[in-house]
Amino acid sequence: MVIQAVHVPESVDAVVTCSARGGLLMGGGTVVMPLVNSGSAAVTELVSLRRAGMDGIEVSDGVATIGAAATLAAVGEHPGLAFLRPALRTIASPTIRNQATVGGNLFVPQPYGDLAVCLLALEATCELAGPAGRREAPVADVLTTGIAPGEVVVAVRFALPEPGTWHYHKAMRRRLNSAAIVTVASVTSAGDYRIALGGLAPRPVRAVSAERLLRGRPLTPESLTEAGEAARADIDPFDDAYASAWYRARVLPVHLRRAFLPESP
Amino acid sequence: MPSQIVSLDVNGERREFIAAPGATLLACLRESLGLTAAKRGCAQGACGTCTVLVDGRPEAACLVAVETVAGSAIRTLEGVATGGDLDEVQSAFIDCFATQCGFCTPGMIMVAEALLDRDPDPSEADVIEAISGNVCRCTGYRPIVIAILEAARRRRERAVTR
Amino acid sequence: MTYRLAPIDTGAFAAERDGGDLTVIGSVVRRSDARGHVTGRTEFFEDVAPPRLAHLKMHRSARHHARIRDVDATEALAVPGVLRVLTHADVPNNLYTVLKLIGVQPDDEPVLAVDKVRYLGEPICAVVAETEAAALEGAARVKVAYDDLPPVFDVEEALREGAPLVNEYQGQNHFVYEGHHCRRIRFGDVREAFARADHVFEWRYQSAPIEQAPVETTGCVVVPQADGRLRIHSDTQACFFTLDNTALILGTPFNKLRIVGGTVGGGFGGKVDVVVEPIACVAAMAVDRPVKFVYDRAEEMQVSSPRAAERIYIKDAVMGDGRITGRQVTLYVDAGAYARHTPYGTTKAAAHLPGPYSIPNVWADCHCVFTNRTPSSAMRGFGVTIADFALESQMDRIARALGMDPLQLRLLNAYRDGDLKAHRKVAKGTALVEVIQKAAELAGHELPETYRRMSSTSREGL
Repeated sequence: MVIQAVHVPESVDAVVTCSARGGLLMGGGTVVMPLVNSGSAAVTELVSLRRAGMDGIEVSDGVATIGAAATLAAVGEHPGLAFLRPALRTIASPTIRNQATVGGNLFVPQPYGDLAVCLLALEATCELAGPAGRREAPVADVLTTGIAPGEVVVAVRFALPEPGTWHYHKAMRRRLNSAAIVTVASVTSAGDYRIALGGLAPRPVRAVSAERLLRGRPLTPESLTEAGEAARADIDPFDDAYASAWYRARVLPVHLRRAFLPESP
Repeated sequence: MPSQIVSLDVNGERREFIAAPGATLLACLRESLGLTAAKRGCAQGACGTCTVLVDGRPEAACLVAVETVAGSAIRTLEGVATGGDLDEVQSAFIDCFATQCGFCTPGMIMVAEALLDRDPDPSEADVIEAISGNVCRCTGYRPIVIAILEAARRRRERAVTR
Repeated sequence: MTYRLAPIDTGAFAAERDGGDLTVIGSVVRRSDARGHVTGRTEFFEDVAPPRLAHLKMHRSARHHARIRDVDATEALAVPGVLRVLTHADVPNNLYTVLKLIGVQPDDEPVLAVDKVRYLGEPICAVVAETEAAALEGAARVKVAYDDLPPVFDVEEALREGAPLVNEYQGQNHFVYEGHHCRRIRFGDVREAFARADHVFEWRYQSAPIEQAPVETTGCVVVPQADGRLRIHSDTQACFFTLDNTALILGTPFNKLRIVGGTVGGGFGGKVDVVVEPIACVAAMAVDRPVKFVYDRAEEMQVSSPRAAERIYIKDAVMGDGRITGRQVTLYVDAGAYARHTPYGTTKAAAHLPGPYSIPNVWADCHCVFTNRTPSSAMRGFGVTIADFALESQMDRIARALGMDPLQLRLLNAYRDGDLKAHRKVAKGTALVEVIQKAAELAGHELPETYRRMSSTSREGL
């Protein structure tokens, strides 16, 4: 449809007001503007988060709170979030990372949305604002059921992983700027594994079967391959221009192994 | 909501124009301000030829609804040369045969400007990453990477001799 | 990081160099247009912004193959800013084929679909509006009622008895070459060669369509002039080819059109067809305003004509020492729904067979086939590139099957000056032997003395 208005509210409350009136939320525009440009946006009003004061990043006492309108570049440059930098560098290009936002990444369809995969592994919490007030929700819920009409994700919050417990690996068609064939993000703690997968279902998913299988076991090529095979029960892969569903499922164990043992072949 | 008057600082000059709702920064630069260096290649952020600097950072101008950057400082390829004097990136692109059809060149140069502003001595890998959002179908990229490294060298050299 | 410049070999063909100063290859040459490119001052067609510019967007077929029962533009015309909705009835000579300029017939493609669509994305209605957004909205609101027809997507299926007829203007699912069902080569007797061969190898090769994907999409801006002429700013790769075809479609003398072009943001063959200019001219005349028609990225990928898909069967008669004595090729080129440049591309494929080798017995059938896929056309060496992929793959496989060095197999069969080729032309100026020798040297691939002494100008070592 032809766009009739672009709102640029300057507070979270004003965002909620515009959103509740039916405007489509837009972070950096990397997903919404292509629809506008091709005349295929299903709305007539856009609500930009660019000036809503939602782009702050705070890291203290082992907890990170990232405003939903923070760009991927800002996250990647924050000294307190260095562990995420390699993951962010696998997402799009530096130019697009100057525009794409953390909040927007939660709502892009797979095989995009690698930061959402990270947030799922980190068991992040989303801070939401809506016409009915503020609430919090696990990122897993936001990824699976979305948010209510008029609601907006204001920030995401998660505990920083202990040093050495964070694992990330993304298989792509090219070394840079390519969507996921398979993305693996994981936090390990005391023999317990939280493993999130991207590129393998319409939304990021937890590899619960792999987590169960690995619990209390050492990470060896054999145990990881077994876990990767088990994780096929947790996925719903799709065909696209990057890879076939068959291929994605086929190589999942390889990339799960590489996420933990990058040196293994 | 009717069209709005939008004000931008473009290449150091304050410019005002009327923008229809949803107009992109790219469309406004090209159609309202006559700055046609930035190109429309895909209108979806995938090709990079519309890249301009917004407050010093490269952004795909086709993805920016212009109302959202009102008041920002925009730098385009038209603002790179001083008078008739090309800067180091521009001259290195010529000398290293980094242009063929020329359609990706505006975006490539703006990305290179932003990179060299931030890092005067980038590695080859840094350059390749910086231009990873810019598609070139003619050169195979190698002359462009060489040109940007050469531009960095020339700029460092000039900084020393000053 | 520096250029890896191949050394200039001044030793080869020294006599032909005539003492000249041939040093351009291997050096960096400054382009005359580079300054415009690096300052952003090079003018591409879309940088032209005449006042009162109107925008054209196309309503395209949502089916691969269907009869059009009804076209309803009522809702499109109701969109604020929509000026006109053009159909086939608005185009003076709606039926055309681009190669009619060199005598290719029949006219087989409508500018805008008439009663049938033959590929997904075929243009049906052109919506002209004040803004691009209004044109897009108008195009989305055109309603077309279809009666589906069975589509055919495979070249061999399309040639089978009972296959759906794709293009009624052609009359059958293949292009007719001077009364023949395909472009043919008959040289020597391949059956005899197969009967006498030590080995017969037959393999199949195929390729998908390949999109040129220029960064600048196909488009034009047409500006009506005070004197009644039309000025066309276009990114076509072929200015006068476009001008002539457009004039034929408009039914105007050639001198009523002026084309401003030559600056192309990447072409690679994809901007040789004449697809945007004629309808943009019709629109500009209809609304008496400048009109821009430019593909969006999705259109560029879906409907601009790609390199044709091909399927190639090669059957070779080979002696124990590696000499190829017979080569039989059956080649299918997927033209898509319309001819465009593919009858010519198929001829080029035939002209390229059996590759740069002297083979005494050659038989080839090269079919230009119509299917319900996007019409294919030119792209960098079309007709030749995929044939080369197949031929050279075949050479490698033969070498592997015989346990031979693949370069030695090629040197043994490479054509020499004076050889009679399958097309009854005598080969001259051949240099394959020297190129292979040099490539082997640069790659550190050892060749035995007899192979190093071979030459394009003698039969030494054969």
